[in-house]
Amino acid sequence: MPSLVGIFETPGPVAEAANRLKGRGFQDLEIYSPAAFEELDDIILEKPSAVRLWTLIGGLIGVVTGYGVTIWMSIDWPLVTGGKPFASIPPYTIIGFELAILFGGLATLLGLLVVGRLPYGSFGHTDPGYSVRFSSEEFGLVVECDERDVPEIDALLRAHEAKEVSLVDED
Amino acid sequence: MTPPPAMSVADTMRRDPEPPDSQINADLLGVMYHKLSPGYLLLLGAAVLSVVAAGATWVYQVYIGLGIAGYTHPVFWGAYIITFVFWVGIAHAGTLISAILFLFRAKWRNSINRGAEAMTVFAVLTAAQFLGIHVGRMWKSYFILPYPNQRGLWVNFKSPLEWDTFAISTYATISIVFFFIGLIPDLAIARDRATGWRKLVYTALALGWQGTTRQWKSHSRSVLHLSGLATPLVLSVHSVVSWDFAMSIVPGWHATIFAPYFVAGAIFSGFSMVATFFIPLRRIYGLEAYITDYHFDNIAKFILLTGWIVTYGYASEYFIAWYSAVEPEQTSFWLRAFGPYWISTWTMLFCNCIAPQIFWFKWARTTPWILFTVATLVNIGMWFERYVIIITGLSREYNPAVWGIYTPTWAELTIFAGSFGFFSMLFLLFIKIFPVIAISEVKELAIHEKAHGGAH
Repeated sequence: MPSLVGIFETPGPVAEAANRLKGRGFQDLEIYSPAAFEELDDIILEKPSAVRLWTLIGGLIGVVTGYGVTIWMSIDWPLVTGGKPFASIPPYTIIGFELAILFGGLATLLGLLVVGRLPYGSFGHTDPGYSVRFSSEEFGLVVECDERDVPEIDALLRAHEAKEVSLVDED
Repeated sequence: MTPPPAMSVADTMRRDPEPPDSQINADLLGVMYHKLSPGYLLLLGAAVLSVVAAGATWVYQVYIGLGIAGYTHPVFWGAYIITFVFWVGIAHAGTLISAILFLFRAKWRNSINRGAEAMTVFAVLTAAQFLGIHVGRMWKSYFILPYPNQRGLWVNFKSPLEWDTFAISTYATISIVFFFIGLIPDLAIARDRATGWRKLVYTALALGWQGTTRQWKSHSRSVLHLSGLATPLVLSVHSVVSWDFAMSIVPGWHATIFAPYFVAGAIFSGFSMVATFFIPLRRIYGLEAYITDYHFDNIAKFILLTGWIVTYGYASEYFIAWYSAVEPEQTSFWLRAFGPYWISTWTMLFCNCIAPQIFWFKWARTTPWILFTVATLVNIGMWFERYVIIITGLSREYNPAVWGIYTPTWAELTIFAGSFGFFSMLFLLFIKIFPVIAISEVKELAIHEKAHGGAH
């Protein structure tokens, strides 16, 4: 099946065109963007990013580890101070806090790699629909469609301010 | 009517094989490809030389022992700890600019955040070395980590030095992660335009980034979460560093105001260091379109604000010393201003409290040489602040019979100078290997402006 790529200057028309295409039943879409824009976030992946779960779980593991390690170690090697419990919670909160941040941050990085599917593709190759123009200042909307739909999509993209529409060369 | 055959329409569509690159890419990648000027090579050479000198001194110190440093009873925390605290402080501006200003949606941060983040990473790396240098037998510094050992010993988690270990290592890790995640989209921009070894490096580091929706969505979410994590972290790190002092009973150290006062001081010195590096950078690489007077104005305002918080901290310390009616506390503070270290104290007060007052005037905030001069003074003043706290505190404790005088030796000063060399060397190499301004974030603003018109 051929793919068409529309090239846009601004994110608003990309979002509108992509929503129209989805409404017409074209589900195989990809948007390439030179920067992060909120209006493009939820078009292809509607749910909020699962990275948030990674951060949460990492942070929770961190805080449990922080308190667990400090309490267990102070029981395993008691520093006896007359009449006081071996484990001293207020200073251990600092370790609990720092490890919550550390594990939360590392889990976020891992989450980015897993949820964002990075590293992506094979080394040194990009998607056929990708162009260096999308790491310049332009947006790309790639639609996979049947051959008979090409004129319709072409018209639709151009109607939404696509400054160029071209056929993706499948390698 | 029968539509024309589909492929014939598609066949007429041809992509422009050589599209013109954007001005932003050309300008910002241009910094990396800018011809190596004699000035740059001279600076880099000086930096490397001072690192070599510091390294040789350090090796000599390991061989001879800490005796070559100026430690003398009762002062056993000297220039190394001062320099450690100084660089940890410098490391704070990057995270503040990247995380806190991100959460506040202060878009002006976009053109200075990358450089500031890099400075954070380099400053933490510089600071961390001083812990090893300070302890002397640095090959035993791993004793501070809780690792299983034959003796069944564990570390004491009630010690502020242990908290510091966790705080600094967490801060170093998170700043590197934050820095790297922010770099990924820009590495892809560089990859698409590079050749030779650069192409290989950027391709590997860009992780196949293409700016797809999935990639951006998880990227934005990660940056948001890391900002949320880094914000309390940055506030905690210098608080924990301050508790290295405040948890003790040394007069002049044992104060509850230490945490907020250290954090403000850290941001104060961090912003000054950002100004010190960005003013020449903008001038040399012609980045006036990206780092504007508006940025300098905001940086100067931050310096003024945090300068006042620091001034309030000093005033509060003196007031509480007087109000407490505790004689050792009062003596300690009296001797700060009028004792053997009076020069350090008055240098600190002039540089940190008086010099930034010029920033009440807009012309001063937006005149680069004034900002550069005041920022340099603040850097000097903030090093002296730590000198005043640490040295006068320790040299004038409770019993006058054990008072002593500390003076840094050539070894300490060489290693101190080497820390500036190390930091500058990393920064100079960085601007030639990675984009010093976050290209995709600048584009975000530029495209937003194009789409909606008007300035933001």
